[in-house]
Amino acid sequence: MATTYDAIVVGAGHNGLTCAAYLAKAGRKVLVLESRDSIGGATASEEIYPGFTFSTCSYVVSLLRPQIIRDLELSKHGLEIMPLDWTFSPFEDGTSLLRGPDAEMNRRNIARFSRKDAERYPLFGQAMSELGRMMKPIIESPIPEPSKLTPSTIFEALRLGKQFKGVGEEWLAANLKMMTMSAVDFLSEWFESERLIGPMSVSGIIGTFLGIRSPGTAYVLLHHYMGEIDGAFRAWGLQKGGTGGVAMAIARSAESLGVEIKTGCRVDKVLMTGSEARGVVLVNGDEYHAKAIVSGADPHRTFLGLIGEDRLDEDFVKQIKRFKMRGSSGKVNLALDSLPEFPGLDQESPALRADITIAPNIDFLERAYDDAKYGRFSREPFMDCVIPSLTDPSVAPPGKHVMSIFVQYAPYNLKEGPADWENQREAFGDAVINTLERFSPGIKDRILHRHVLTPWDLEKTYGLTEGNIFHGELSLEQLAFMRPAAGWARYKTPIEKFWLCGSGAHPGGGIMAAPGQLCANTMLKARAV
Amino acid sequence: MSRAIIIGAGHNGLVAGLLLARAGRKVTIVEQRAVVGGLCAASEVHPGYTVPGLLHDSTGVRREIVDSLGLSRFGLAFESEAPSVLAAHSEHKGVVLHAEAKRSRDELEALHRGDGDGYIAWRGFLSRIRGFVSGVLSEKPPLMKPDSIAELWSMGKTGIGLRRLGKPDMLELMRVAPMCAADWLQESFGDSLPAAALAAPAAIGASLGPWSAGTAASLLLYESVRGAEVKGGPAALTQSLQQAFEAAGGAIALESAVARIRVEQGAVCGVELAGGEFIEAPLVVASCDPKRALLELVEPASLPLDVEEQVASIRLRGSTAKVNLALDGPISFRGREGERHARAVVSDHLDDIERAFDAAKYRACSKRPHLDVSIPSVNDASLAPDGKDVVSILAHAAPYHLEGGWNGDARERFGDAVVEMLESVAPGTRARIVAREVLSPADLEDRYGLTGGHIHHGEHALDQLLFMRPTPKLARYKTPIEGLYLGGSGSHPGGGVTCQPGALAAAAALKG
Amino acid sequence: MEGISIQRAARSADLNHFALAGDARKRYILTPMPIRSPFHDRVARYCTSFAWKDWAGYYAASHFGETHLPEYWAFRESCAITDITPLFKYEVKGKDAARLLSRMTVRGFEKLPVGRVAYTCWCDANGKVIDDGTVSRLGEAHFFITAAEPTLSWMSRLSRGFEVELLDVSERTGALSLQGPTSRDVLKQCTDANLDALKFFQTTSAKLDGAGVQISRTGYSGDLGYELWCNAEDALKVWDALMTVGRDYGIEPAGIEALDMVRIEAGFIMLGVDYYSAPHVTIDARRSSPYEIGLDHCVKLDRDSFMGQEALRAEAARGAEWKLVGVEADWLELERLYESYSLPPGLAPAACRDSVPLYLDGKFVGQVTSTVWSPLLKRYICLASVKAQYAALGTKLKLEHTALYERKTVTATVVERPFFEPERKRTP
Repeated sequence: MATTYDAIVVGAGHNGLTCAAYLAKAGRKVLVLESRDSIGGATASEEIYPGFTFSTCSYVVSLLRPQIIRDLELSKHGLEIMPLDWTFSPFEDGTSLLRGPDAEMNRRNIARFSRKDAERYPLFGQAMSELGRMMKPIIESPIPEPSKLTPSTIFEALRLGKQFKGVGEEWLAANLKMMTMSAVDFLSEWFESERLIGPMSVSGIIGTFLGIRSPGTAYVLLHHYMGEIDGAFRAWGLQKGGTGGVAMAIARSAESLGVEIKTGCRVDKVLMTGSEARGVVLVNGDEYHAKAIVSGADPHRTFLGLIGEDRLDEDFVKQIKRFKMRGSSGKVNLALDSLPEFPGLDQESPALRADITIAPNIDFLERAYDDAKYGRFSREPFMDCVIPSLTDPSVAPPGKHVMSIFVQYAPYNLKEGPADWENQREAFGDAVINTLERFSPGIKDRILHRHVLTPWDLEKTYGLTEGNIFHGELSLEQLAFMRPAAGWARYKTPIEKFWLCGSGAHPGGGIMAAPGQLCANTMLKARAV
Repeated sequence: MSRAIIIGAGHNGLVAGLLLARAGRKVTIVEQRAVVGGLCAASEVHPGYTVPGLLHDSTGVRREIVDSLGLSRFGLAFESEAPSVLAAHSEHKGVVLHAEAKRSRDELEALHRGDGDGYIAWRGFLSRIRGFVSGVLSEKPPLMKPDSIAELWSMGKTGIGLRRLGKPDMLELMRVAPMCAADWLQESFGDSLPAAALAAPAAIGASLGPWSAGTAASLLLYESVRGAEVKGGPAALTQSLQQAFEAAGGAIALESAVARIRVEQGAVCGVELAGGEFIEAPLVVASCDPKRALLELVEPASLPLDVEEQVASIRLRGSTAKVNLALDGPISFRGREGERHARAVVSDHLDDIERAFDAAKYRACSKRPHLDVSIPSVNDASLAPDGKDVVSILAHAAPYHLEGGWNGDARERFGDAVVEMLESVAPGTRARIVAREVLSPADLEDRYGLTGGHIHHGEHALDQLLFMRPTPKLARYKTPIEGLYLGGSGSHPGGGVTCQPGALAAAAALKG
Repeated sequence: MEGISIQRAARSADLNHFALAGDARKRYILTPMPIRSPFHDRVARYCTSFAWKDWAGYYAASHFGETHLPEYWAFRESCAITDITPLFKYEVKGKDAARLLSRMTVRGFEKLPVGRVAYTCWCDANGKVIDDGTVSRLGEAHFFITAAEPTLSWMSRLSRGFEVELLDVSERTGALSLQGPTSRDVLKQCTDANLDALKFFQTTSAKLDGAGVQISRTGYSGDLGYELWCNAEDALKVWDALMTVGRDYGIEPAGIEALDMVRIEAGFIMLGVDYYSAPHVTIDARRSSPYEIGLDHCVKLDRDSFMGQEALRAEAARGAEWKLVGVEADWLELERLYESYSLPPGLAPAACRDSVPLYLDGKFVGQVTSTVWSPLLKRYICLASVKAQYAALGTKLKLEHTALYERKTVTATVVERPFFEPERKRTP
């Protein structure tokens, strides 16, 4: 046994790395073990086709906490996020809607479909930012646990509650309504035009196995509205050189703080003495020991894999098994010979640099969801596309482009079983391209290379159980003190000295890195390391 | 003696009226139809065949209320036990779900191993939370922010009730409430048939498929307080209420549609009838749906804008059609020849219910509707000629906003689809039909004054329950118009034949 | 960031772009830049400064020539013509039109005679001002409304159950303001309206070079003046006719900068400068009631319920917390302050919209929201919000003033508002 560490982090995704960096910053000796040969997990940039760098999985940075950027000096280590603050929504009739930071432009563009909506739009944005501001402390702190009424949880609840003190009952009711409403119902209280409701509602379903009319999706809408970069609310961005750069920056920062990162090290099991974790053993038999073990993997992989059912109590296993991880989305990455065209749109338009949302109306989105409910991929899926090469030419050869398409729904559990994705992968890719062709005629002929990632691939390649990009669905019963299991929402697990820091912990997924940060802080506060 | 007017002589209106009359008010119930009972009123389908109400499920009637009203003196009686429901299937004999779970164990185990025990465990959880849920349902909804010691006390009680469940059940309840019924039920059942049968009421209340989040909450509220049926069905309930009300000195004005609730200087002063007559009263309890009461009957601009807008955004998109059948023989379900079943649900699979509601999303009728079937003549032979059955069916989904509108053709086509479904689980039924009555959501709106044709006066979605029903500002039955109260199914705890909203509204009105 | 750079690019592109108006519609997505009013073609010809500003999404000339001062003097000495098309314009028609406006705004409209214009403001349910504007009664059941912010959704939300038709005529209506002592003479030369009979805050329809126009004797200058409304198609014709006739009366196209100066002299408040639209801000401290922004005279409490009535009634009873006042800085003190740096008073004769704190005994008591050195009055005047107890005429406060990087204060006195109100504004 060569070295003993203070902590071993399993998985070099953005959360694992963040957790490691914070622990190291507090003077702890930390080892990160990554099974793949590269770091980043689902936060990866890969050259799948020569000359083209794809942000293979995660493609936009929306919720990365500014405090983490400052604490870990990520800018010094290569973090460079370019704003992506336009949204472009083409419709089937050749019209389209571009929304961005210019209030007057938004008003004019929306007024072409509804003057009333144009008037309401800025008020909506303001209401959402206000809600986001109120939600911020919830994201920033570990969640109080309602079943353990100890003085400290009461104090924490009060502290969170303080945020809501002074706000009227009306406001609380509005909030509660929002938590329980569907995105469409919520948006319909504000707007009348489906051209606005459709594209806006999809941020309520990204990464979930829910339809836009499903209660609870309005809340997720807020979750996505809270993206912040450099302290600015509601801002989305692209990392220069691809999303992998985010993980790389965190890794470099971690290394500069003394963290040791080993790739190609697949952890087989957590070593335990009695009910205490004391190390890990790799598939090749190597063992590493530490005072605390932290898992950045999803709850299923962590508890059912790394620990194993036999070492956990039955009830907890049941809870983890019930924790829903149904992946619902896929990714299609395109290497393009030239820029795609949209009707009525100039190629120099900022619209192409926008987040391109294919969500033309409510029925379109509902039909996409209906397919998924019954175990097939959407024949006409919702798509969220970006062309990062327009903002960041370094990711493609001159004049060529990269298009990153997030596709929903692609249910992990196909009617024929998840393994059938091997047979359906290309058909899924075709469905995506055929749908896109209707909005951007001619795109087919521009494709040099197509890279299709199904939930099956996300599981096999990136270790995301059932291909769930958020390490567990963001549905109401799986949030806050329920994430990942009731009673275990504070990064601690039933195994002593074993912690969870991935997106399967509060506050959830996205390139937010908050679970990693909060886990590290909780560990330090508990003097666990 | 100060006057009070109740709008609507349905079960909630009658309960409110009775409570006010007993408290010494001079109460007049104004009813637009020519009969008393609202959705519970009996109606003749065909000479000799009667269905005891548009709604046919009386298992939700709150015993505390009818007991405290002494309705047994007016002929009200209950069956001895909660009814069993036949989950019928198109290919086999289905399964009978008994309220007493262990009686269903063998049939369920035969269907799928583990389902029998799953059902017992599921019922076990429901019976453990029954006390708590029923407490929540029988109290006025909690305030968001308690404003008095009394409120705080009552909230504390609720909180204690929750804690008293014990940590596992409490956490389970909190976990389950926002879920979708399908996910929740599939944790207990390997076969989809029982899951479908149990999920159906929740889906129906919410006008959503069982895969929609929040439907589990609706299911919890329905299942955990279910009791025995009223003898004679919902119609018998309203008949006894009517007698009690009249005995207490109340008056019912039939065929008296309200044209306007008159408001002067922010306070209600009476109602104007469609015939022009004005009845003065400083207290009005509207048991019609909240949209009708506040947007149509009250003069525009009488309400604060936020209240008006919240009311306007209440979702009540009806998706239920009613089909009544008169049969010239007994109904007989597949593989159950000779057995008598008073209640049956028809959907082979959870996905069938989901698909039924999918159609409604696109403003079309389901071609394979989900059926909630009651055969009232099983328990009360007087409702149909000897040896024959009358069948009452609530069929889903038939959207109020049907593409192309509801016309005779659309109505009959949907009727055909319903009969087709019934035929698949009860072969031979079609041949026995002597009369068929189909009521589309549009017909329900016309006949019963239900906005959107919604039988619950507002969808049972998460954001329209408890202190958000009908809207956060109206959740305590009181409206911003002094003296005007909402006492119908649109208020907490919601639709179905419970009598609770009427009782709570009357209590609120008496308290002032 | 992106938004800004694109607007900048759009502006420079515009220099050689005038002829592309038709084409621009097709290329809307490429050009998320200000739109052109129906007068743009003419206005642009005069706007040799290329000093454009974005006003509610329109190109609006900031000033036309080297400086805005000739335009300012035109307002006061001859006649200034300003394109005010960017205002939002609505028509309300129908049986319940007057009732709707009475519900929406702080005054009643049932009794407003046809042909009259009323200035009013509208509030949210808490009695906080959303916007202010004029309402003209064109017929028994026909009103015309101007607003600074879009108001269609708000009006329609308030009209549930009302028998009204709401029309947004913002784009199809061109609007010009003709202000100054000779404005009546100019109009007389080119319209058939009986202008001598048109009293202050009255409106009439007329023909101007064959085009139908609505003329109201209103304006934002505090001087004799008129506002003209016409169909967008007639806009150029109307402009040309006025300019041709106006040449003999010293007519001068005037931009926003000069307009801002005269409106401060006239004591008029401006949305987004002197107060904020209640729904557009998040905290109550930034919202104002009509009583707090000097619109007391508009509020009529005792009538059928209207938006904000209860809150306003309560506020009227307890008294407003803040007051809008006119404030004048002590000129000699200012001179001395600059003199201490061996400088002349460095005050540009231009309006300033930055808010500056007011103190009393070192305590913050309010803020100045609009400031101008008036070339006509030779006074340094401001509109200010102060806590009510400091609003009495003659109250002496301290106004923060930065001279040569250093923050100092000078005495500022609460004075009469308006600062300038010539008799010709009202007299026939």
